[in-house]
Amino acid sequence: MAASAATSKDRQFLAVIGDEDSVTGLLLAGIGHVSDGPDADKNFLVVDSTTETSTIEERFQRFTQDRKDIAVLLINQHVAERIRHKVDAFTDPFPAILEIPSKDHPYDPEKDSVLKRVRRLFGE
Amino acid sequence: MSGAVGREAVFPTRQSLGLMKNKLKGAEIGHSLLKRKSEALTKYVSIPITISRYILTFHLLANRRFREITRRIDEAKQKMGRVMQIAAFSLAEVSYAVGGDIGYQIQESAKQARFRVRAKQENVSGVLLPSFESYLQEGVNDFGLTGLGKGGQQIQRCRETYARAVETLVELASLQTAFLILDEVIKVVNRRVNAIEHVIIPRTENTIKYINSELDELDREEFYRLKKVSGKKKRDVAAADAEILAARQRAAEEQAANPEAAAKTPSTKEEESTDVLGENEDNDVIF
Amino acid sequence: MEGLFFNVNGGYVEGIVRGYRNSLLSGQNYSNLTQCETIDDVKLQLAPSYGDFLASLPPNPSTSDLAGRMMDKLVSEFKYLTAQATGSSAEFLEYMKYGYMIDNVALLITGTLHGRELKPLLERCHPLGWFETLPALISATNIEELYNIVLIETPLAAYFKDSLSHQDLDELNIEIVRNTLYKNYLEDFYNFITTHPDFRGSPTQDVMAEILQFEADRRSINITLNSFGTDLSKSERANLYPQIGKLYPEGNYMLGKAEDPEGVALACSAVADYKAFFDNVQGGLGGMGGGSPDGKSLEDLFYQKEMELSKLIFTRQFTPAVVYGWMKLKEQEIRNVTWISECIAQNQKERIGNFISVF
Repeated sequence: MAASAATSKDRQFLAVIGDEDSVTGLLLAGIGHVSDGPDADKNFLVVDSTTETSTIEERFQRFTQDRKDIAVLLINQHVAERIRHKVDAFTDPFPAILEIPSKDHPYDPEKDSVLKRVRRLFGE
Repeated sequence: MSGAVGREAVFPTRQSLGLMKNKLKGAEIGHSLLKRKSEALTKYVSIPITISRYILTFHLLANRRFREITRRIDEAKQKMGRVMQIAAFSLAEVSYAVGGDIGYQIQESAKQARFRVRAKQENVSGVLLPSFESYLQEGVNDFGLTGLGKGGQQIQRCRETYARAVETLVELASLQTAFLILDEVIKVVNRRVNAIEHVIIPRTENTIKYINSELDELDREEFYRLKKVSGKKKRDVAAADAEILAARQRAAEEQAANPEAAAKTPSTKEEESTDVLGENEDNDVIF
Repeated sequence: MEGLFFNVNGGYVEGIVRGYRNSLLSGQNYSNLTQCETIDDVKLQLAPSYGDFLASLPPNPSTSDLAGRMMDKLVSEFKYLTAQATGSSAEFLEYMKYGYMIDNVALLITGTLHGRELKPLLERCHPLGWFETLPALISATNIEELYNIVLIETPLAAYFKDSLSHQDLDELNIEIVRNTLYKNYLEDFYNFITTHPDFRGSPTQDVMAEILQFEADRRSINITLNSFGTDLSKSERANLYPQIGKLYPEGNYMLGKAEDPEGVALACSAVADYKAFFDNVQGGLGGMGGGSPDGKSLEDLFYQKEMELSKLIFTRQFTPAVVYGWMKLKEQEIRNVTWISECIAQNQKERIGNFISVF
């Protein structure tokens, strides 16, 4: 815990994995960041029906494990559903993973990994 | 059987009585010493109990905070649903005004994050909880000209709406992180509490019980022994008293019936009749 | 005089468009649509106008799918019209497409600048802005190549040639590029309908001049309003104003000098129509539109005006301008239906009436 608190100082960006509308909106809010240099790394991923699940997993891995400057990862719930095992398996406090609704998929608290943990904890 | 064990093979003499008395005293002292030791043991055990009480209190406090957090997470998640819906709707307004898709252009225009977060720490019952605070990076404006010819105002408004939505999301992320960390701490504390409650305390109690039972057993044995001893002593004393009394009575009777014979009666004959007459000594004792 | 020979070449197209116009949704249709509870209901209500195109949609489709199908119908109808048109009418229809081509080329420029794979971008291109050589553009690997291909292969070459170099594409914000192109396009279109022998002095010139002037003014005003608070300089901004329209030249000059929405209102005060717009949204220029539920934003008023102008085109005969009017009305209709279904899908019924219907 102490270690994660120490590293939390460097985390200043948000990242997003979601459908085009969600990503566009969040980018409009100004969360988009493309790192400089030859290996320019974007902090967002647009997922549509043609996106491979492996790509989503790879980006998820990158945002949650490899990059140390992401404080919050926003992910559309219906996208999270596709990589649910990964989301469920991720229990570190950083980055915070937040499942957000998308335009076509309203938010369902039943599926939320974190809320599931809350429920489990209260034995409901 | 115990009566047989408990009884010591001593002669009912004054000397042995003294010995028994000393023994009893010694046993009493020993008992009290043992008792004190047991108390000391209990005290020793009670130190972890105090700790556990402290942890329990903390646990309760943390739990209260935790419940507070989960309640707020629940609220915030619902709020998020609404806020995101409003935001998505403002995006619909944009596509209405622009009359086309701006998604690709937005994705390609993004360079520098304007909306960022910084992590703070908050101390809750000795646990450091991080919380995110959102801020806008000055001088970054990637989409300033988007929608220049058409729909620019809607885009501007949409940006504001989404920025507010993201603020809510960041708030929620803080809560969620706090929850996850507290969850971790509480799990550890719970393990300790459970360990104390279900392992250490029962074990200690069992030990105390065992010690007590042993001590009680000793006590009882001691008590029984003492009782036996005192009973025997009493009986010995009573028997001795009766003997003396009987002897005196007989002597007095002999003296009264045959005063001259009393002088010449041999002592051996006197002893033989002691037991026979000792039985109704009580009647004689009355006067 | 023009009526005498117009129908020889343009009569069929005009007749068809007048038929299309009758399938536009009326106020009655819209009020039915706003009563819908689900997108499926919307689909059902649209069946008389869009039947075949919506048939393949899954139950409760997304609004973007719905809009896509409606656009498909518009595109297929427009394609039919272009196939039937001959002579100057065909040219006119070509001109109508250039606006969409500009958007498509701007999209490809954006992709090229960021070194993206261009092929997937073709799907995002507006179907009305499709031209045969568009796929050729994706072979470009850098911006200079793209620039050269655009010059050689596309009808937009004239819009690039004099005002933009390939360095400009690299350095300028894509929005400036887009608006520069659009300015050139509007001026060219205006020039076309006022100088072409078939259109000069015809009803086409009358109606199209007015609508193009309006479009030019609208862009000038929007650009000015949207440039506030950005790093677009006044001289750059002034370069984006089309040099046609009711505001040109005095109004444009004043727009160029404007520093706040009040300045824009002042610049427009010379033109009665625009003055009325600004009076209607007074006090809310900063955050217009969504401010009050019934208050229309400036953009809404512009759209309203555009629709009225488009509707008026149908009062004229012997002109391909009816195609222009029909297309604008149809586009607005698609936007309206999208808006309504968006409101239904997202449960924001209180603002469902915020569409523009002129029939």
